[in-house]
Order: sequence, then structure tokens, then C-alpha cells
Amino acid sequence: MSTGLWLAVIASALGTLLIRVVPFLWMQRRLGSDSGINNMPQWLGILGPLMIAAVLGVSIVPVNPSTISWTATAIGLLVTLLVWLRVRSLGWPVAAGVGMFGLVQVGASVL
Amino acid sequence: MSQVLTHSALKGAREAIPLLGGYIPVSLSFGLVATQAGFTTWEAAAISLLIYAGASQFLFVGMIAAGSPLWLVVAMTLLINVRHVVYGPNLAALLPQSRHWPWLMHGLTDQVFALALTRLPHLDKPERFGWFLGASLLAWGAWIIGTIVGATAGEAFTARWPLLGEIMPFALPALFLTMVAPRFTDKRWSLALSGAILPALFFTLYGWANVAIPLAAACGALCFYMVKFESSKGAL
Repeated sequence: MSTGLWLAVIASALGTLLIRVVPFLWMQRRLGSDSGINNMPQWLGILGPLMIAAVLGVSIVPVNPSTISWTATAIGLLVTLLVWLRVRSLGWPVAAGVGMFGLVQVGASVL
Repeated sequence: MSQVLTHSALKGAREAIPLLGGYIPVSLSFGLVATQAGFTTWEAAAISLLIYAGASQFLFVGMIAAGSPLWLVVAMTLLINVRHVVYGPNLAALLPQSRHWPWLMHGLTDQVFALALTRLPHLDKPERFGWFLGASLLAWGAWIIGTIVGATAGEAFTARWPLLGEIMPFALPALFLTMVAPRFTDKRWSLALSGAILPALFFTLYGWANVAIPLAAACGALCFYMVKFESSKGAL
């Protein structure tokens, strides 16, 4: 890579790091002040779970969208949810969901 | 103290394993795309090491390959990553003070944020720093290694196991579903969460993946506050 390209990589990396770290440190300083936790704006606490929901929405779209992959996604998510309702943890529901998703995909490709 | 740190870091790494189902295939693809765009293996690895932000890395190498001006490449990369600005403040109350945060926050990706926001409240305070360290380092390491493997053997890998690249990424929606499901506690939150999930899905389907997360979260927030407004009139 040319020097200019390296500078672009470094500028992008530094900018991204600052986007991640400065708001975090700013909020920690606010929380550490006299009025403490009350300094956390309400909208921010609401936005957090909604960002996770949005990340879920983005990740639902299959790598190669097709009838089979959408069917596998629906069945995989249903199995994940059912296992989660039973065990209420992160690991097993994910393993069961991926297993079922893979089973439908592989099964459909064999047929 | 160091025993607590090691134990909690291992716990964080263990709980971050499902993230790898998404990270490995995408980083393999990035390594492959970067070498096809003219970058060497180590240059691709350096981009993953330093920038460490999935979508913007693809955009970065794509724009460079297309001959875009460097200032525009940097501006677009940062524009895509600007959504991360709300992640840190959400975690600030959950994590202890430490002089290490300026470099550790490098690991605050969409997925690590989602996992941390879900898991940190359930951990004892002394465990939280080590947990974040373990989870974020595992994800970062997997991303870099995946890039190197993708750049050196990506084509052979995807040709040999074509379905693996389609199956493994399902770990991400499955994981996020287990994080979102406990938050469907009442009508208001159910509407707000659905109001974020569905727009995100549609934005991605229609090629707006880069702005889908902030836009969809804003849609969800709108639903949340609209229901509050209606409920004050006795509608819900």
C-alpha cells in the first residue's frame, strides 16, 4: 500500500476508535459526578435494546436469500425461541437453532 | 484479583463463542474480497486489526479498488461507523472505571455491544471488566485470523464447504433473538422492538444495510414514544 493509503487506514481506524471511546468516557464521567446515575438520559436506555433489535433484523436476512433459506431461517428462529423459552440461557438455544437451520439447508440441498 | 480477572475473561470468551458463527464467515469473505481488490494478505489483516468494523471495511476496500479519493473513503467509513456513538454511553453505567478503556473500546462492535448490554447486568461488578476483555478479545482475534485465512485460502475454503458459509452466520440471528426475547415484557416494548426488527429487515432486503441499524432503532423509538402518548389518553 502507498503512504496515502496507509494514512487512510490509520485515519479510519482512529476515527472509528474515537467514535467508540469518547462517548463512553464522557458518560462514565457524567455518571461519576454528584448527581450520578440520574445523568443517564432516558432515551439512551431505550435506544440500547432497540439497537439490538435492529441488529437482529439485519442479521435475519440469509446470506443467499431463497425460498429454502427463508424457510430454514423461520424454522431455525422458531426452534431457537422454543429452546430459549425452556432453558432461558444463550448457549443451547443458539446451538439448537443453528443445528435446525443447517439441517433444513442440507436436507433441501440433498433432495 | 488476577484469578477473578482470568476467570471472568474466560467466561466472557466462552459466552462470545456464538458470535464467531457470524464473524468467521464474514471475515473469510473480507479476506477474499480484499485480496481480489489488490491488497496483500498482511494489508487485509492490518485493516481488520486497525479498523475492525465489518461493513465499513468492505466499503473501504471496494472504494479503494474503484479509485475513489482517499478523503471520501475515510469519510464514508466513519459515516457508516457513526452508529457506534450510542453504544459506549449505554455500557458506561455497567462497566467500572479503568485506564484501559481507551484501547479496549476498540472491540465495541455491534455484536459485542449487544452481548455486553445483555450479559453485564447479570454479572457481579468485579467480573465485568474481565468479561468484556475476554469477549471482545476473542471476537477481535477471530476477525483477524478469519481475514488472514480468507486472504490466503478463501477461494479453496468456500469451494470445499459451500454450505458452511451459509449455515454458520445463522448463529447471529439466533443469538440476538435470545437477547431480544426477554425484553418483550409488555405491549409497549413489544411494539417498539417489532418496530425496530421489521424495518431493519426491510432496509437490509432493499440494499440499505449500512443505515439499517440506526434508522430501524429510530423507528422503534418512535413506536415506543407514540404508545406512551396514546396510553396517556387511555388507548392502550
